[in-house]
Amino acid sequence: MTRRALITGITGQDGSYLAELLLDKGYEVYGIVRRASTPSDERISHLGDRIELLVGDLSDESSLLQCLEDAQPDEVYNLAAQSFVGDSWRQPIYTGDVDGLGVTRLLNAIRRVRPRARFYQASTSEMFGGTNEAPQRETTPFHPRSPYGVAKAYGHYITLNYRESFGMHASNGILFNHESPRRGLEFVTRKITDGVARIKQGVARELRLGNLDAKRDWGFAGDYVEGMWLMLQQDEPGDYVLATGETHTVREFCEFAFGHVGLDYEQYVVVDERFFRPAEVELLLGDPSKAKAELGWEPKTSLRELVEMMVDADMERVRRELALTSA
Amino acid sequence: MAPRALIAGIAGQDGTYLTELLAGKGYEVVGLLGPHPGDFSVWAARYGDQVRGAQGDLSDPESLTRALRLAKPDEVYNLAGFSSVGASWQQPVLSAEVNAVGALRLLEAVREAAPEARFVQASSADIFGQAEDVPQNEETPIRPRSPYAVAKAFAHFTAQSFREGYGMHASNAILYSHESPRRAPGFVTRKIAEGAARAKLGRIDELRLGNLDAARDWGFAGDYVEALWRMTRVDQSGDYVIATGVRHTVRDFCAAAFGHVGLDWQDYVVVDTEFLRPADPAVLVGDASKARRVLGWEPSVDFAQIVAMMVEAHLERLSR
Repeated sequence: MTRRALITGITGQDGSYLAELLLDKGYEVYGIVRRASTPSDERISHLGDRIELLVGDLSDESSLLQCLEDAQPDEVYNLAAQSFVGDSWRQPIYTGDVDGLGVTRLLNAIRRVRPRARFYQASTSEMFGGTNEAPQRETTPFHPRSPYGVAKAYGHYITLNYRESFGMHASNGILFNHESPRRGLEFVTRKITDGVARIKQGVARELRLGNLDAKRDWGFAGDYVEGMWLMLQQDEPGDYVLATGETHTVREFCEFAFGHVGLDYEQYVVVDERFFRPAEVELLLGDPSKAKAELGWEPKTSLRELVEMMVDADMERVRRELALTSA
Repeated sequence: MAPRALIAGIAGQDGTYLTELLAGKGYEVVGLLGPHPGDFSVWAARYGDQVRGAQGDLSDPESLTRALRLAKPDEVYNLAGFSSVGASWQQPVLSAEVNAVGALRLLEAVREAAPEARFVQASSADIFGQAEDVPQNEETPIRPRSPYAVAKAFAHFTAQSFREGYGMHASNAILYSHESPRRAPGFVTRKIAEGAARAKLGRIDELRLGNLDAARDWGFAGDYVEALWRMTRVDQSGDYVIATGVRHTVRDFCAAAFGHVGLDWQDYVVVDTEFLRPADPAVLVGDASKARRVLGWEPSVDFAQIVAMMVEAHLERLSR
């Protein structure tokens, strides 16, 4: 029988890659979307009618019940979130409601409608924030340093509680940064590759960034959604770190990105303190050895390949935009 | 000028003890109150103008900002919340709405309307869940094991992130169980103390309880509010375990309570599996040495005294 999956956040970077992966594996794919005045479906428009979109919102439990009734899923992936760390300082309550309490609402709805469905919660390395332990693994204590990290820690713990107390097949994927050409422009990686494309094509002269020494463990989103799926194929649910196990600075990311189009980042990048976060996280470096041992999962894409993929995509997109405006 | 404090949760056990403490120190105290403060207004009347209410609720950010502008507090204490671990399994979203997002709304309102005020969050030992470290201290990993505890962890982390992100003077009091004659019905200690009093008066012949082996570190609420106040008196804000460091089981509590009135608990107590919680947290016992060192705080009332105090209070109330 065809398996059915329900994805919240299907219009996001991870949702769109996961939808592609599941379609390739023969799943029927349902996605939950919020009814918004401006549709934000550019990442999934190429999937057309191969996926079924349902209207729902993590802040409204009754809408989630209805989505579960309609989709009758075997697997539920909770990828929806207010996912900008910086914005979470400006919208902490909204972030807490959606990224935190939204998980409880979804788990409650699954318990009522599809108690045997398997559940994936998108946890994040931001829960580690100011931890003293590096690299971070599944047992590392949390010390979130932003309203986003706090809300995600809540979602992680509540998932664990529903697993332990109700025997649900509910897993947390603790994902370190994962990027792609579909990353939102608000994220630093995409901001850099977009900036490189604009500078290279003469429509921008500088790129303003925050802390260049911030270090991150960056992988490719397409690799990471495979890990999510693998977690739900195990007999037992669990928590897994998905990471590359390597860190690079924002400065290195700039070097690779500018270097790929033959430019020197130092001539274009301007450090702007407005982009510094109120509390910067310490060294985030993931140890994915549990995922490797139990899921057989490994990242396949190197940082240089990732940066080049992103720069190439932005070069192409900026070229098309310029062609349109000059036509 | 008199120092001023705003208390969310002023009408609860801890709120009333803290109000007494602060009023005794000459503070003006403003309590956040819902639309029907009832008993609290009667209770607070003894303090005249020194203790006032302001309409406000943790679910309504506007009301918090308004209350803070009115009170202009030097200190803000968040003692409000949904306090039942058991009920949080039935109403996990509501419990988080108040205990998690409510604390965040109050911190946001303080940041906006009283940014210099010193903030104390009533955190809970429950955030440690099935801790591997015994006793627990401020460095013990947070592993909450109930929707109540998960919401409390959210509030705890939020106070930390406002301290680190905005430099606010925001402290977490990681409170272990603390009891008193004012403990609300529904808590096991209240149930036992009241049960022993009723048994003494010949009004019941059995008392149904859950897991008798559950162990807790029980202190006296009057001592614990003293620690909350001391957290606002030190230059640096921080997290503090507030505990006695001594662990007793529910069985010990029964023996002490019934023994206090000359009865044998085993003649009355019946174990009822209906009261067993899912994932009952293991052994929680706190190491309060940081509070002793930095705040100069120590508990003054021991286990036997707390039990006796509670049984006496219920005997007196029930005999009236």
